[in-house]
Amino acid sequence: MSSTYTRRDFLKTTSFSAILAGTSCMAGKLGSLDTPMFDDINKTVNTYCEMCSSRCQVEAKVKKGKVTFIQGNSHSKGMNTSICARGASGHSQLYDEQRLVKPLIRVGKRGEDKWMAVSYEEAFNFISEKLSKIKKEYGAKSVLFSAKTGEQFNHLATFTSLFGSPNLFSHVSTCPITYKVAFHHTYGAGLKRDFSNSKYILNFGHNLFEGIAVSKTKKFAKAVNKDSCKLVVLEPRFSIVASKADEWHSVKPGTDLAFVLSLIHVWLRDGKYDKEFVKNYTVGIEQLIESTKTTTPKWQEKITGIKAEVVERIANEIYAAAPSCIIDWGHKTTTGQSEFQRTRAILVANALMGNLEKEGGLFFGKKAKTVNKIANMNIAPTISNPDKHIKIVKDLRIDRASQKGDNIFVSRKYGVLMDIPDAILSKKPYEVKAWVMTRTNPLITVANPEKMKEAMNKLDLIVVNDVYMSETAQIADVVLPEATYLERDEGIQDISSKAPAYMMRNKVVEPINKTLTSYEIFRTLAKKMNIDSKYKWDNINSYRAHQASGNIKLLEKLAKDGYVSFGIPSLLYREKSYVDKFVEKYPSASSNLDENGLFTKMIKFKTPSGKIEIFSQTIEDAFPGYGVPANHDMDVQKGYPYIITSGKTAIHTNGHTQNIPYLNMLMSDNPVWINPITAKKENLKNGDKIFLENSVGKEKATVFITEGIRPDTLFVYMGFGRDSKELKRADGKGTCQSKLLPLDKGPVCSTMITNTGVKITRA
Amino acid sequence: MKKKFRMIHDENLCIGCQACSVACRSENDVPDNVFRMQVQIETKGIFPDLKMNMQRHSCVMCEDAPCVTVCPTGASFQTKDGLVQIDHRLCVSCKYCVVACPYDARFMNPITKNIEKCTFCYSNRVSKGLEPACVTVCPTDALVFGDINDTTSEVYKKAKESNLLYPKANLGTKPKVAFVPNKKGVSYE
Ligand code: SF4
Ligand code: SF4
Ligand code: SF4
Repeated sequence: MSSTYTRRDFLKTTSFSAILAGTSCMAGKLGSLDTPMFDDINKTVNTYCEMCSSRCQVEAKVKKGKVTFIQGNSHSKGMNTSICARGASGHSQLYDEQRLVKPLIRVGKRGEDKWMAVSYEEAFNFISEKLSKIKKEYGAKSVLFSAKTGEQFNHLATFTSLFGSPNLFSHVSTCPITYKVAFHHTYGAGLKRDFSNSKYILNFGHNLFEGIAVSKTKKFAKAVNKDSCKLVVLEPRFSIVASKADEWHSVKPGTDLAFVLSLIHVWLRDGKYDKEFVKNYTVGIEQLIESTKTTTPKWQEKITGIKAEVVERIANEIYAAAPSCIIDWGHKTTTGQSEFQRTRAILVANALMGNLEKEGGLFFGKKAKTVNKIANMNIAPTISNPDKHIKIVKDLRIDRASQKGDNIFVSRKYGVLMDIPDAILSKKPYEVKAWVMTRTNPLITVANPEKMKEAMNKLDLIVVNDVYMSETAQIADVVLPEATYLERDEGIQDISSKAPAYMMRNKVVEPINKTLTSYEIFRTLAKKMNIDSKYKWDNINSYRAHQASGNIKLLEKLAKDGYVSFGIPSLLYREKSYVDKFVEKYPSASSNLDENGLFTKMIKFKTPSGKIEIFSQTIEDAFPGYGVPANHDMDVQKGYPYIITSGKTAIHTNGHTQNIPYLNMLMSDNPVWINPITAKKENLKNGDKIFLENSVGKEKATVFITEGIRPDTLFVYMGFGRDSKELKRADGKGTCQSKLLPLDKGPVCSTMITNTGVKITRA
Repeated sequence: MKKKFRMIHDENLCIGCQACSVACRSENDVPDNVFRMQVQIETKGIFPDLKMNMQRHSCVMCEDAPCVTVCPTGASFQTKDGLVQIDHRLCVSCKYCVVACPYDARFMNPITKNIEKCTFCYSNRVSKGLEPACVTVCPTDALVFGDINDTTSEVYKKAKESNLLYPKANLGTKPKVAFVPNKKGVSYE
């Protein structure tokens, strides 16, 4: 017998109840202005999206001065006209009445939501006076700066350095830090995945069908839809990716490390790995043999819940498909304490299969500089960073990132957001007085927001730059409205893959109410504070011209098409057919060929040994026992009956889009997934209100009973459970998982832990 | 030759992302909180033997269209290309068609009080040689649209290589939206 559980509940379906139009409009939001005037322009602009961090190339249509339709930019082959729901909703954010369009200075108490709308000039005067005073009394390092990575982050980083503070933070510690650190210590640099040609993909919850990046998603969807490609997914919940798999194994959260160690055990036990590759390109296989001696398929069975035979079979299948196989490290996946070991084990597993620079495997990005070197001539223009000479301040940071201790492997550009509350509250290593941030909302996206808020309330100055009145903006002293990406010109971005490519953001319409972009905000502030003598540029056009070293043709092409590639054939150093095509087009490249007619000389690992480090002495020295992938820290339950995990939906981006009209109309809530067995045990029915509770906090939730989750695990989509009453559509709806997360960090890479134990109590 | 339009929704490629639904809203000025189309996701089975189906929910452009048959004013009609459209000048919003449609595809526009549904973007795109908005944006190319009489068209090729099914085929309404049924279920040992 099979019963049907529908997930329609997540989508709000056709209904005729009109929403209540917001009648009270806070001064400062778009709704408080008279209807904006639109000029009579009809045009199409090619640019790139910022509704999430994937930054897909898009085309925006303007009718009578108003953006009416957004689709993929067909100049970019990987995109064609495709886009995702969030990307297609860009204009719904742009014209949202609840969007901020005037700078605000707080007049009441913190969090009281009393504001005075001011001009940018007044806001800049206020900020620069306060910052100068704090800098004079407590030193520049007493001011923190943070932003989501991207071009805005780079401009903020420059400002931070000129201001003199070492305390720069990106969002990386809350998301992609693990694979960044793991790659650095294994291959010396990051790699890319050739999904299109792969014959076997082992996926650990890398969620490209919900955490969308359009061109990657398209390649992945088409590859796994072919009979010639097998997809195996290990994930606690039945996600969309799991639903497209040939096999899904509902692994216990945090334990997939055991599965990978056991795969490695089988390969090493049976001698089924690329011995030639391992001999030529790696160090540390002996240590790996030693550390995986006991990690047998039987051993992992008890830990992961996956049968030993399954591991044996999958190990053989992958070896048979190698090197056309991908063991996918994901983006941010299980995220317990074992995350670093798991990711390192995956990277090592790929090395054993010898899939580097092979079709259907892994490859290095081929930027202009690299292909020019191979071709021995300039076949693609290079771009440079106009702020390169402005160096990050190397003072003691509050989180001691890149200094001896827990965070030694964390770059000074990333920092560790989870270390901020303790540093502020303990005043160690020194006092923090202010926090300046752009497009980041730590009160939703970072663990233990209660503690974060307590710490923030100790500060003398909080400056928030955002499109919406976020939770964090609510407790700020100054809120600067930011021009959305459709209202911004920006610099050139390198997006090279198997061949070089660039994209550029082009303004689609003039900013509503003349809101400023974040580069204008920080460039102006720098000028005002007299710390701008090192800037080589004044406005975005001079910034772009510096990037392109005066290459007008390149700039013109990017201004028109938003994207440019150079007709250079795709290159994989160890694939004969790819190398031949490249040499045929650029005969001068032949001097770089090896005796097999390949470009193996071009394979270089920026690690201490110059090889792929299966064993890393650097890690071992700093974190004894972690130098080689081994069995560590797989418990995420911590004595509670259930594990709560979170993940993405294709309809929203982290903590940013929940209030955007089009997207809110599709999904405005995130009920918690509970298996029927669990529901029965806890005596719950669909729609019941419950609390999820642990030592960190207690958070309300609505029950959604589904077969698509393990009985010991609960799941919510991230970014809901908002509490800013200015986000009128999203406020108060759903569950914020962050409120249950401890400020713990994963060892070695300092990643935020997002799987944790909870119990269920009745509301 | 008369055009024979078909839209194919490949449930194996579809990821239920709703880009199609948002593009439809933008292109056709669909008012807040009503939808001309959505893709609904349905999870079936008992843990861990599960399957997830993606179903397009919209007008399917019936050849034998009950909405046209019941319309008392002739407002609901078929173009010469066989696409069901609504002439708003003739529509008196009596809602017979809303009730008659077995696909639950019609609704009343809460602002204009007109009856609306998916039009295949006929007047605004298809008649100008463009594809419907939903087809244009789909990130996985799960939607294919065109004239199936044209042997060089994508839709012809797709129809040839796939096993097409029609929603509620037993009703005999002969829809022009076909789907490639979901083959992916999960084998678990
Ligand atoms: S995935 Fe969607 S939201 Fe993200 S950048 Fe691409 S189109 Fe925009
Ligand atoms: S846009 Fe394509 S993949 Fe997304 S829901 Fe619609 S048909 Fe499916
Ligand atoms: S699906 Fe409904 S609205 Fe569309 S043609 Fe058929 S009966 Fe008419």
